[in-house]
Amino acid sequence: MAVRRSGPWIWLIPLVIAVIIISRLPMASSVSLLMAPAVDALHAPVEWWQSFSLWFKNSDELQQGYLEAQKQVEQQASLIQETNSLRSENRQLRELLSVADIPGYHWSAAKVHGRSPDAMSQYLIVQTKGAASDDVVVSSDGLVGVVDSVNGGYATVRTILDASLAVPVTLPGSPLAALLRGQGNSLEVDFVPSQNAPEIGAILYTSGAGGLFPPGIAVARITSVEPKPGEIFSHVAAVPVAHWQRDNWLAIASNAPVTKP
Amino acid sequence: MIAAWILLLSLGGLALNLAFSQSMAQPDWTLSLLLAALLAHRGSWVWVLPATGFHDAVFYWTIWGNLPWLVVIPLLLPHLDERLGPGLPQRLTLLILTSLPMLFLGWSTLAWLLTLGLCVPVWFNLANVYARSA
Repeated sequence: MAVRRSGPWIWLIPLVIAVIIISRLPMASSVSLLMAPAVDALHAPVEWWQSFSLWFKNSDELQQGYLEAQKQVEQQASLIQETNSLRSENRQLRELLSVADIPGYHWSAAKVHGRSPDAMSQYLIVQTKGAASDDVVVSSDGLVGVVDSVNGGYATVRTILDASLAVPVTLPGSPLAALLRGQGNSLEVDFVPSQNAPEIGAILYTSGAGGLFPPGIAVARITSVEPKPGEIFSHVAAVPVAHWQRDNWLAIASNAPVTKP
Repeated sequence: MIAAWILLLSLGGLALNLAFSQSMAQPDWTLSLLLAALLAHRGSWVWVLPATGFHDAVFYWTIWGNLPWLVVIPLLLPHLDERLGPGLPQRLTLLILTSLPMLFLGWSTLAWLLTLGLCVPVWFNLANVYARSA
């Protein structure tokens, strides 16, 4: 009876672990593995010499040397990780600085602490100081959304994929005045005239209408334009240009007047 | 005591899902544990359903995520047990039906499968724990 009850444990837990491990494997490593025989061939003479010289060392010395080498490798690995992380943060902060030159807004940086677990991350949790509800959140690539609520030093950000947000958008150099709405996993652009419909791949920018979003921020890339027979407006779908699923740093634009010292 | 442990682990699961949602594939830890507790012991609905509401509020900003589906289990299971006799088929069906909405709430199929894969062994283990404590 006990054996029958433990059955699912035996099969399902390794299965879950295996699926997690496989899903985490970077695909690029399989390409690197193709080069392994060539690299191995180049290393072979060195390894033969090291193997030969090991015969003249006693086991204690070898063990101590091995442990020290292992420790050094671990230290170097952690240093490399730290360097990569700092480099990525530095790049994101530098890119954010170029976004923050829109006048009339007070800009501050915010670190992403959490994301909603759905595939597209419809909301984010960021650490910030001085943010308020309805403040605009952007990444180095484009518009992310607006601050929904603030508590202490943390704020939740409702992204533009949320159905409750509508962003007035335009196409630079055109009279287009459309409205972009979230659909959960994608974006829909309303009020796009069939006659002047933008091309697939065109980038829509905030128009500044309504006063909530600063003008000139990239919002979405058009993925499909389908004219509706007998109707003035086309059915236009788009995807966000911002990649908040991966960015660790965002910028928050407060509309409040800036107090000068 | 069992309830306290499950709720504590569920809170940890919520944090895990939020912190690493885009960096690794993972199940809905909280839903797995709560579903397992509910299937292992029908009487646990008293604390499982509020916890599911909290889970929905955190993840979906509304309680109408998984909660309406989980409510079905304590309502329907006694009738099904009465008609069919206590057994696994109706429980497995309810498990799949109540976890399916995950796919419509933005979770990936892999996350759904992982949730099921985690829920079943936890459910069996909890059923044993409840049986021993009875």
